[in-house]
Amino acid sequence: MKTLNNKSSFIVKLQEVGLQRVLAPAALVLLYIFFGIFGRNFFSYDTLVNILDSSYYIGFIAIGVTFVIITGGIDLSVGTVMMAAAIIGGTAYKSWAWPMWASLLLILGVGVAFGYINGLLVSRLKLPPFIATLGTMMISMGVGSIVANVRSATFPTRASDDGWFKSIFKLINDNGFSVPTGALVLFGVAVIAWIILTKTKMGRYIFAIGSNKEAARLSGVNVQRWEMMAYVIAGATAGIGGIAFAAVYTTVMPAQGQGFELYAIAGAVIGGTSLSGGIGSVFGTLIGVYIMSVLRAGLPSMDLQAHYQTFFTGVVVIGAVLLDIYRNDKASEVKIQKGEKVSTNNEKTKLS
Amino acid sequence: MKISKKIGVVLIVLVLLTVFALPTFAAGQKDGGKPYIAIVSKGEQHDFWQQVKLGAKDAAAKYAVDMTFEGPASESDVQDQVDMLNSAMAKNPVAIALAALDTNSVMDQLQATKDKGIPVIGFDSGVPNAPAGSIYANAATNNFNAAGVAAEKMFDVIKSKIEAATAAKPVTIVVMNQDAAGESLLSRGKGFRDTMVDLIISKTGLSAGDIKVMGNTAYIDSKNPTSGDKVAIYMVVPASASMTDTTAAATAVLNKVKSESVLGVFCSNEATVKGLLAATNDGADLPGKYPGLVVIGFDAGAAQKGAVRNQYFLGSITQDPYRIGYLALELAYKAYKGEKVEDVDTGAKFYDYTNMDNDDIKGLLYD
Repeated sequence: MKTLNNKSSFIVKLQEVGLQRVLAPAALVLLYIFFGIFGRNFFSYDTLVNILDSSYYIGFIAIGVTFVIITGGIDLSVGTVMMAAAIIGGTAYKSWAWPMWASLLLILGVGVAFGYINGLLVSRLKLPPFIATLGTMMISMGVGSIVANVRSATFPTRASDDGWFKSIFKLINDNGFSVPTGALVLFGVAVIAWIILTKTKMGRYIFAIGSNKEAARLSGVNVQRWEMMAYVIAGATAGIGGIAFAAVYTTVMPAQGQGFELYAIAGAVIGGTSLSGGIGSVFGTLIGVYIMSVLRAGLPSMDLQAHYQTFFTGVVVIGAVLLDIYRNDKASEVKIQKGEKVSTNNEKTKLS
Repeated sequence: MKISKKIGVVLIVLVLLTVFALPTFAAGQKDGGKPYIAIVSKGEQHDFWQQVKLGAKDAAAKYAVDMTFEGPASESDVQDQVDMLNSAMAKNPVAIALAALDTNSVMDQLQATKDKGIPVIGFDSGVPNAPAGSIYANAATNNFNAAGVAAEKMFDVIKSKIEAATAAKPVTIVVMNQDAAGESLLSRGKGFRDTMVDLIISKTGLSAGDIKVMGNTAYIDSKNPTSGDKVAIYMVVPASASMTDTTAAATAVLNKVKSESVLGVFCSNEATVKGLLAATNDGADLPGKYPGLVVIGFDAGAAQKGAVRNQYFLGSITQDPYRIGYLALELAYKAYKGEKVEDVDTGAKFYDYTNMDNDDIKGLLYD
């Protein structure tokens, strides 16, 4: 009886530490090993670079969308805003002859502007986030196409004069050896986001709003302002994502980006962010993004085509959410047991 | 407790599904020891690409190589194609066949394959403007020759009318070109034009001095006869590739059928075919209003196939995707073996209502 109690208390302890915090990274490592065994040439530097390369654009917007989801909202526009920003920047460079640095700043600016609009719609005009960002998703897609005149925008290639910006995300030296510097940028942004979320007033308020908006408001939190900031951050990361996309893929086609937001949301969910708000972490999201990226690179290495990725990502998302429910369920069970214990103790005292 | 048990069961099912599904999906596809050739296409969705894939598969079986064939879901998904190419390169292939959606996007990759000495074969439209030396050869339709086939087919039918042409009663042959910029379309227009000129000179009593090539200047070379007064070859380019402009251009041509005795119209791609069909009530007006007018199209598509089946069109030219795929893999294999490879014409076929349902043609005609 005693050993049983000890065992269950060990599990309880593990759950308190956060089962999911351990599970998601463990799943990532297991997947990597799995593909390493069964994939063709998966344990290689090239593949690692590919995994990192293809994670940037989803990675950045996933970090941004984590902020919004923690407030209890949702941002469906991040994917199309990212692509609209990239194509507008590309058009500025190609058609309006802007210098490269100004075009890159414009990409960031467009992202922030759309984030600001989302924030206004949700926090001031009280639109439901789903509807507001659904609208801006379509608007941003349209704006991108209108500005670009429905033509694709081609950024300079590495060999040309303005190709320097590609080195921010991937450094290739003269021997053809490539360094995925974009991973450092992504980690850098993640660390900044983590500091904002856990070490600043803004982060605490964002969590507070997500846990209970009314309680946060009654405690004197400026809900409108901080809710808005979450969307602005999502917009800014969409802008950075746009730059990363332009650097990695060079050509941006019009009316793209639909569906990227769902991968970003999936990444956040796999990483343990709760869609009901108040729970979430930046590094969890990053793990979620890398799980999808490993699938993306790993399935083709087993000669399975890339669209199997969507299938297995779906499986992973459902699995992750189920685990979350399972964990919460267990947690509430424990509480009841504690209660019972207390009552039996009471009975005992009564009896005695 | 009950809920968590249920969830536990579902979780186990999911895990089992993943563990068992993956190797099952992958079974039979992995084949160690054989050289591996990766094919990255522009897509897989159209019948056209399925034929390319079939051809590549057969060639892979013949040369006993391991082959993968993949392409993005849509021809706008440039980033998917780049990721696919990256994955393919990471698998250490001995050669790669590539039909790039966008050359600029794969510049780094082509440089990398060049540095590593992995041969890359272009297919379909290939990889235009690739870094020098990265593309070993291309397997693509020779558009000049393909359009030449159309000229031959049309000439057979209108030969007697051309012979009857006089200065007082000249005849006209029209070539509808979507634009004057794309290399493949320029080749088609010129291929039709030059073949027709040669045929008229060699097979009728007329000489070069009787022929006049007119219309869009991009389609007129200095060697072309431009001062004849018996046969005019009219190179038409609409204001834009949009449906309304191609339709307007077709209407303008049709209005001249009687006054300038237009004998034939060659539409060099699907867009101009669609324009002509829109101007003629899906082709139904052709036999009644313009009797004797010979129309030849290019490629396929449901509307064009209908026009050919109903004999509104004499026929159309189709490319040969099966051979494109087969030759792409063959070239890749030969390049890997160190043999010298050069560009190959994958050929084109003429189809009309009599042969369009034959097995060798049917597969080439997409909807």
